[in-house]
Amino acid sequence: MSEREMDALTLTVIWNGIMSIAEELGITLRHTAFSEGVREGDDFSTAVFDRQGRMIAQGNFSPGHLGSMPFVAQHVREYFPEENLEPGDAIALNDSFMGSGHFPDVFQVMPVFLDGSIIGYVATSAHQVDMGGAAPGSQKVHGVTESYQEGLRILPVKLVRAGNFDEDILRIILGNVRMPDKVRGDLAAQHGANLTAAERLCQLHRDHGTARVEHAHDIILDRTEMHMREALAKVPDGTYSFEDYMDDYGTDTDPIKVAVDITFDDGTVTLDFSRSSDQVPAAINSYINYTRAYAVFGIKVFCDAHFPQNAGGMRPITVTAREGSFFNPTFPAPSGGRAILQIRIFDAINGAMAKAMPERAMGAFSHWSNPNIGGIDDRTGRPFIAYDVILAGYGGRADSDGLEGMSPVMNCSNIPVEVHETNNPIRVQRMEFIPDTGGAGKHRGGCGVRKDIELLNSRATLSLLGDRHKYQPYGLFGGEAGALGETILNPHRNSEPLGSKEIREINKGDVVSIRLSGAGGYGDPEDRDPLAIENDLLDGYISRKD
Amino acid sequence: MKRLAFDIGGTFTDFVFEDDDTIHTLKVPTTPEDPAVGVIEGMRHLEQAAGLDAGDLNAVLHATTVATNAIIERKGGRTALITTDGFRDILIIGRQKRYETYDLYIKPPKPLVQRRDIFEVVERVGYDGEIVIALDLPSLDTVIDRIAEGNYEAVAVALLHAYAAPAHEQEIRDRLRQRLPDIDVSISSEVSPKFREYERTNTTVANSYVKPIVSRYVRHLGEALSTKGFQNEFFIMQSSGGLVSPEFARNFPIRIVESGPAAGVLMARDAAAEEGFDHVIAFDMGGTTAKLGAVDDGVPSISPTFEVDPVRYKRGSGLPINTPAVELLEIGAGGGSVARADLGTIAVGPDSAGAEPGPVCYGRGGTSPTVTDANLVLGYLDPDYFNDGAFTLNVDAAREAIQRKIAEPLDLSTEDAAWGIHLIATNNMEHAIRIVSVERGRDPRRYAMVAFGGAGPLHAAKLARKIGVPQVIIPKNAGVGSAVGLLGADARLDASATRLLRLNETSGDTLRQLYSELEVRVRKDLRRMAQPDEPIWSRFAYMRFAGQGFEIHVPLPDGPIGDDYPRAAEAAFRNAYAARHRFSDEQAAVEAVDWYLVATIETEKSATGSITVPSAGTPSARTRSAFFPDAGGWLETQVLNRAGLIPGNAIKGPTIIADPDSTAVVPPGDSVEATSNGHLVIRIGAEDRS
Repeated sequence: MSEREMDALTLTVIWNGIMSIAEELGITLRHTAFSEGVREGDDFSTAVFDRQGRMIAQGNFSPGHLGSMPFVAQHVREYFPEENLEPGDAIALNDSFMGSGHFPDVFQVMPVFLDGSIIGYVATSAHQVDMGGAAPGSQKVHGVTESYQEGLRILPVKLVRAGNFDEDILRIILGNVRMPDKVRGDLAAQHGANLTAAERLCQLHRDHGTARVEHAHDIILDRTEMHMREALAKVPDGTYSFEDYMDDYGTDTDPIKVAVDITFDDGTVTLDFSRSSDQVPAAINSYINYTRAYAVFGIKVFCDAHFPQNAGGMRPITVTAREGSFFNPTFPAPSGGRAILQIRIFDAINGAMAKAMPERAMGAFSHWSNPNIGGIDDRTGRPFIAYDVILAGYGGRADSDGLEGMSPVMNCSNIPVEVHETNNPIRVQRMEFIPDTGGAGKHRGGCGVRKDIELLNSRATLSLLGDRHKYQPYGLFGGEAGALGETILNPHRNSEPLGSKEIREINKGDVVSIRLSGAGGYGDPEDRDPLAIENDLLDGYISRKD
Repeated sequence: MKRLAFDIGGTFTDFVFEDDDTIHTLKVPTTPEDPAVGVIEGMRHLEQAAGLDAGDLNAVLHATTVATNAIIERKGGRTALITTDGFRDILIIGRQKRYETYDLYIKPPKPLVQRRDIFEVVERVGYDGEIVIALDLPSLDTVIDRIAEGNYEAVAVALLHAYAAPAHEQEIRDRLRQRLPDIDVSISSEVSPKFREYERTNTTVANSYVKPIVSRYVRHLGEALSTKGFQNEFFIMQSSGGLVSPEFARNFPIRIVESGPAAGVLMARDAAAEEGFDHVIAFDMGGTTAKLGAVDDGVPSISPTFEVDPVRYKRGSGLPINTPAVELLEIGAGGGSVARADLGTIAVGPDSAGAEPGPVCYGRGGTSPTVTDANLVLGYLDPDYFNDGAFTLNVDAAREAIQRKIAEPLDLSTEDAAWGIHLIATNNMEHAIRIVSVERGRDPRRYAMVAFGGAGPLHAAKLARKIGVPQVIIPKNAGVGSAVGLLGADARLDASATRLLRLNETSGDTLRQLYSELEVRVRKDLRRMAQPDEPIWSRFAYMRFAGQGFEIHVPLPDGPIGDDYPRAAEAAFRNAYAARHRFSDEQAAVEAVDWYLVATIETEKSATGSITVPSAGTPSARTRSAFFPDAGGWLETQVLNRAGLIPGNAIKGPTIIADPDSTAVVPPGDSVEATSNGHLVIRIGAEDRS
């Protein structure tokens, strides 16, 4: 599409205006949502589309929706051509292939009408507290072999008609989920946020005229594409490959191969995950939109972190994987717990890109752990789930040591010990860095983190979701790998080692000690500044000099 | 009544001397190594110029950045932290979220203490206050031995769940005082008794960290004032907008971190009140940033927590401080904010040219065009009369920089490029205000904007029009706004407790008990205030629907707490929630997390708000060409001296009002008038409506 004349000032005002609509959409949603994932983990996404369904701006929230959001309006348009849409309608979907790769992420797409015609679409996706299925939260990994066990699958449906929720459809949804009040609240919160955004988009069109706004869309997409191509062209052409392994997908199962081949060619990039393992009968498969999300995230990190996110920037990027493989599974492959993978998609890209851009690469992350302890609370007779997010270190990089205790790839806060203990019958006994676990190097990796949790309830089910118990986080350019992670049941008694994805019945007084791996180092440890070693000793990040 | 107020800022110390019904103002350079020196210097000026006699003063009120600067510059006292065994890394781990999702190369804020300064003692308290493991004295004594060897000036004690049971922290404090009497101790159950361990620990550590500096500073200042003969009450402003005694500030210095900005919001409240408005957006735009605050129903909006020293003004990048503070949103949009061409568009800030080298037009070596350069090229600023005529501005240099860095790369005319910089800076502030409005459910049409700071009045009318605020007030003495705000402040103490209660399961007895405990705590602090008067009590709570994660501020009914009080509190929440989010769930259960009790002691103030300002003749008839593209381009625009305006006489835009410390732009379509109170009121779209 050719770029016709538009003055820089008008373009700036329209572009900023659209981006701020996407941003405000998210702020509204965050403040009205009930789901913890939305509020605390920013696990939601927002976007503004043009009339053709091209994404013009995406809010800077979860990267997990980078792969799905740009295309969601297209999917909606396939099911609902313009002539089947009316003012006040909104379409919902959560299909893993069209959406973000698991059922809890529900999208709502609203056509925006001005003077009787569609001028664009606004959309939100939000991680709902529950979509039904085998376990609360709809993310059960163990024993889930098909999507049908994961809850309600929503192909695009008109959830809101002429401004009112379709009570029949709502009844089907709410009849299939745990905590229907919260789900209802969050569906309403998404709709409310979309309404506000639609009003703002209309105002923007009134201020500037639809023809001029549409003209700006073309320029925004073309210019972002051009900028992305320039950024990609700075990487030397060629194919860069990397492979690594995940422990398994449950007790006594095989490792999963994570392999990527990244090809840069004249301002375009293709990320191919085909050499990875086949899809597995456990709910951690990565649907292509999820694979694409973190592949795009990886490219953004390596090429330009603060890039405006829109459909134009996606044009030079191709993400592919063999159909039926772990990174492009086919329905009904289960995928509820696919969040555990995001770090590994990035780690694989990072390992490959280290060969092309050594100064931007870093040692592998500590993996993270997402354990659940659930049961019936003795005190109240009500169910509880102590859902936890344990995060540790970053790998060393060209100019500095890896960060300690920072959310990797995905971006969420931990849950304070005092909040956890107030809400659940557990007591945290320790939460601290594990010295000597960061991979040595000119710049060492961050330390692993240990969290010991005691069960105060008579009994509960412990479901572990971690990794790096068998394959260490790699180091780069002579830097050493981080120490392996481990999970120990009752370190004060018989110290029984558990698998990274084990599931166990535990009893009162049992203590599970989750010890995350250290992150990988960068560069030869011989080149490390002696002062840095002294400081590490003083601060106890290492216990000895060698 | 005679009162002296001063605000010790980073660069200037601003004075306001209220001599019955006359106001005298003064700016002197701040003396950072000992701010009392600058204060004495200012007082000497006022003795000569205005007949100040310290012995005659009824009160001295002041605000200071001394605590903030100690944190920002990491120049506080050497501090150790004692925490619960197993939790040494709470402070270093923090909440772990990146403040920039798409940047894996960020640097987290540097903690105030290093891992080597953190010591563990064996003890454990449960969430309900149960003692799970008794305090182990041998482990404590070992830690105290190490602290004794470590050359520390202050110790912070923050144990898990100490807000629910403070006994162990108190025991540790007593033992430390006994064994190391020269080291100052802060305990989390006193400094910030609220749950969420990272935020409470950080607040306590920060309190310890700034204490040595603030103590020295308060002592010097007190001594300096008494050598001048002052013998009455001396108050310090807290972040919450309430005044406290020096004694209180010495113990809880973390509460005065945002004292200057808090006073600025009070000034905005008082100026707006004089013009009959009680919903206010306070807009303070200076050299590097713009600060936005709000007053709802005449009460400054208070946030239970705030961040100090954020990176590039990004949320989540600073150190969280869990003490009440006037709600302020700060963005990187000031006169010195740098403009650049980016992706074929104009981007402004957050980088700033600061005061050195400053904007290009200052002629001190700056080469990047700034917002001030744009305002000069547009004809809004007078090149020959800037900062009270302190120096002249180089228009040609500003025009040349805008031409080269913005106009040429983007194929714009120079004035369009300058207009673009002005507009985008305004847009950035508009976006920030919208976020605050969206989050708080404020309807801008009900608000008046009070604009101050060197650059605020230049952008205010345009900004107000964009967000739909119908009127802008440019207060008198805006150049010393925070010092003026001090004159309107009351003394205030508050206490809070974390107690998660579902209101439909809570009895009146429980709340009565909770509030009587809070009252005991406030009364203890009151004894540090040298204030015999019985205070006015008020209550509020942070509440939410059960299951939500964000709480909102809800004022609770005054008066005795009867059996129906939980019901009344619940109703207050539902009303507040509906006002903010335009919907409310009548079935969902309501819970409160943090409970507050506030004691306000009204300070004696001047009888009326109408302080006469010496007037200086009639408007001088100057004109200047200024650029207003919405009204056709370059317009011959009248320039009036503010001091010469006749109250009640509406003047149509385009008009520029010059004042020694700021310039107000009144665009075409708006009108301005001086009021009998000495303020300027700009009515947005006055002509559209008439």
